[in-house]
Amino acid sequence: MKGEREEAGGVAVNARERLGRAVGQAAAGRPGRVVSAAPARLIGRLIAIIVILLWSLFPIYWALNTSFTTLSGADSAPSHYFPSPLVGTSYSQILGISSSSFGIATQLGRSLLNSAIESGAAMVLTVGIAVFAAYAFARLEFRFKRVIFVSVLATLLLPAYATLIPLYRIMASLGLVNTYLAVILVYVSGFLPLAIWILYNYFNAIPKELEEAAFVDGASPVRALLRVVVPVAMPGIAAAAIISFLMGWAQFLFPLVLTTDLSTQPVTVIVAALNQQRIVPFTLLMACGALAAAVPGILALILNRYIVEGITAGSVK
Amino acid sequence: MSAPLRGRILPYILVSPLVVFIGVLSFVPTVATTVEAFFRVMPLDPPNRFIGFGNFRALFANSVITTSWINTALYAAIGVVLSVVFGTVIAVALRRRFRFRGVILALVILPWALPAVVEAVIWSWIYNPTFGVMNSALHSAHAIGGYHLWLGLDRWLTIALIEVVQVWQITPLSALIILASLQAIPQELYEAAKVDGAGAVQQFFRISLPLIRSAVAVSIVEALVLSLNVFDQVYILNGIAPLGSSVMLQTYIQTFENLNFGGGYALSLLVTIATALVSLGALALLYRRTEAV
Repeated sequence: MKGEREEAGGVAVNARERLGRAVGQAAAGRPGRVVSAAPARLIGRLIAIIVILLWSLFPIYWALNTSFTTLSGADSAPSHYFPSPLVGTSYSQILGISSSSFGIATQLGRSLLNSAIESGAAMVLTVGIAVFAAYAFARLEFRFKRVIFVSVLATLLLPAYATLIPLYRIMASLGLVNTYLAVILVYVSGFLPLAIWILYNYFNAIPKELEEAAFVDGASPVRALLRVVVPVAMPGIAAAAIISFLMGWAQFLFPLVLTTDLSTQPVTVIVAALNQQRIVPFTLLMACGALAAAVPGILALILNRYIVEGITAGSVK
Repeated sequence: MSAPLRGRILPYILVSPLVVFIGVLSFVPTVATTVEAFFRVMPLDPPNRFIGFGNFRALFANSVITTSWINTALYAAIGVVLSVVFGTVIAVALRRRFRFRGVILALVILPWALPAVVEAVIWSWIYNPTFGVMNSALHSAHAIGGYHLWLGLDRWLTIALIEVVQVWQITPLSALIILASLQAIPQELYEAAKVDGAGAVQQFFRISLPLIRSAVAVSIVEALVLSLNVFDQVYILNGIAPLGSSVMLQTYIQTFENLNFGGGYALSLLVTIATALVSLGALALLYRRTEAV
């Protein structure tokens, strides 16, 4: 059992390096090794990829399609597969440029800001705490190290909702319900285990000799960490950061319980509330959805390399 | 402070913020849930008192909640099977390097990165009974005679269609985990198999599958934990309707709609135990099967 795990871990590190390289090469437009396959197999692969892309992207396309048309254009049977007519009125209503009867402009603007503050602060705190702790786990010796490490990672298997009600009551007793602080603290406690796991693996893959040179020069471990290890570990830190941010942006149940008005409600709670009113037309809802998804969507497209890194580090145990 | 002493206490300083966060905001609440599950906790109707298994008995006497357990088992079954199968298909299709693979990989990840709430709102429009594109497409293909109300009529269909929305979001996880493991397999194995005349299907079952088993095991456990706790998609697509309701949604209703915190605690505790047992069981079983090969 133990040997099996270690072997799996080794495979993971190896796989991650290969995957990272492969993604980098493909992204750089280099064709890599030309596969000499029969035309039938090439066509099969092409069809598979088209189906995979349709599955992954059609719902996103469909939301954009609806958001760029009029209500009568969207409410048609059969459906229009391209926006007809193609208009941007949903967006001008949401952005408050033209009048909107649902007060969406204010709600969406403020909740996007709340989402940015909550997930941004949670990301900074999570990574800040995790870098030092993961370094201690990877490089330093101390009592209870194993117990603490295993206990922290065990909370990865704990459903987040096991803690929902007590966390609400703790925050309520401290008078923190409906504050940024409550949301941020809860996020950080939820995101730390995965960040620790990603960084621990990354630090372990860095050769010790790198810091030893710094130690010879009389540097303290913290100095060695900040000056030598952190710069080399930037991809791992970026992976932990982007994944923490995306997890924060996507949270729904915790902020649904911990926030009560627009001063702290993130965009997920507002989109759910608009959806629940049943009177906001789907053209507007899809435009709201597109704006709520724009930040994580664009980040994921630009930083996908680090997401792959983080997910495979955090999963192949 | 002397340097050696500083060196000895340094690790504790480095891990103390982590220990405080996890201790206060994960361990204390988990213990609180475990203890308070055996108490009557009604914020609007104090006092709280110990009632043994009273909360659990009330939960099992409530047919909406017992039904939600069966529903959740179904969510998990559909979620695990579909996301791992789709994930494997995607991983196999993207195993070899080719032009634009990086771009395709980035696009495949996208559903994982977006908020589940937004995705569920999008799918509720796709499933819309009067103008939804699913109705339109199936009608154009002559698969259905008229437009259907997909959600809320039939329990199994409602559950399946809601779980598809979650599968759409979590499939990239399985795909990436399995892809990483596939790419660790030496290309020579496939070359050798080809020389021996093995086709693509044989190569997958004889070479790939045995070597990606631990990655598949991890994918299964991740999908299990996520689908056993399905909430956002059910909340958006099904509201608080009992038909198709999940255990997580019932926990929310018990606690924050009915303000029966004790019942909510008991349900949370059961979900936590069930999740831990099922995922550890799956992991043990799959690891043993990996070793047997």
